[in-house]
Amino acid sequence: MAEGAPCIEVAGFVFRVTGLAAPDRAWVAERFAPFVSRRVPTVTVAVAATERYRRGRVARPLATWCNGHFSLASHPSRATGDLAGRRVRFRVGPGPALNPDLFRMLCGFLLARAGGVLLHASAVVVRGRAWVFSGPSGSGKTTIAQLAGIRPVLNDETIALRPGPRAYSAHATPFYGSGGPGMARANRRAPLGGLCFLRKAERFSHRRLSPAETVARAFPEVMLPKRDPRVAAELLGALAALAERTPAYELAFAPRAELWEYLDGLD
Amino acid sequence: MDWTEMDWAEAFPRRRSMPWRTLDTEALVVDVKSGLLYPLNSVGARIWELCDGARSVDDIVGVVAGEFAAPEATIRADTVEFIERLADAKLVSVERRRKGESR
Repeated sequence: MAEGAPCIEVAGFVFRVTGLAAPDRAWVAERFAPFVSRRVPTVTVAVAATERYRRGRVARPLATWCNGHFSLASHPSRATGDLAGRRVRFRVGPGPALNPDLFRMLCGFLLARAGGVLLHASAVVVRGRAWVFSGPSGSGKTTIAQLAGIRPVLNDETIALRPGPRAYSAHATPFYGSGGPGMARANRRAPLGGLCFLRKAERFSHRRLSPAETVARAFPEVMLPKRDPRVAAELLGALAALAERTPAYELAFAPRAELWEYLDGLD
Repeated sequence: MDWTEMDWAEAFPRRRSMPWRTLDTEALVVDVKSGLLYPLNSVGARIWELCDGARSVDDIVGVVAGEFAAPEATIRADTVEFIERLADAKLVSVERRRKGESR
């Protein structure tokens, strides 16, 4: 069954997804089409249907690790793995063969271990650099992505930020929001230009944020459960490093194309 | 706890399971039970650092009064109120000691 196993690349991680039946392989290939990769896999995801009966309950998402082993849960699916072996076992419940919520959590977890973050944000590439727009639902992430015009959109909902030797990169992800699949049409990345935390308004205004303010704004928008002290500490460290190297702003914006000119003028 | 009768010899150690770090002069504390992050300003960050379980409220007020320019009475009232908030949020625990006892 491993033969023909699709590989999906997100933020430099190449996931080889094994254990899928032919219809599920086709579903994965279609759902993640722009992110299908021919590069050498770096992580193996072995998918298995959960057969064991579990009594019904409401479970909260979970991310935890101990002694190199990690466990992720996004009801009704779970993932367990070891960091050294780069092998993950997905136990999926009814629904998509590769539960996108759990897969997103896996990407967020691996990114955090690599010093990056998966952020609830949209991003648009302007003159070769990515502007990342973050905020809770309804703050305007998709609205801004829809204002991009000919500028490349990395995603309208989920952006991966990863440190490099010289700068952070913003990466497209397959985890789109209300803008739909059109917001995740290509697997591209760009050097990170700046971070904006959004607020809808009648007029444009902005305020530069201190590193501590940036971490405080970004922390709730990191797409990973934060109830494990080790995970929370790792995220704090990753966000602090990001905040110290990246200009960040509180941005009040009106949904008009003048936004791009306004961003040009940010100090 | 009746905070109006706060014992100045009590200590308020930070809970060990709370990840936190300082950035510039501010501090960021994560409550892992709720997943919430609490940003603390520079004075709050200093008090938080001093909540090490060894120092009493009196000790903390003394250090803060030595480092920030404000009347000690103001600092004392603000420090007590701030520690109350930390305790209400269960970010610090309360350790009662007998008079004269130290760690």
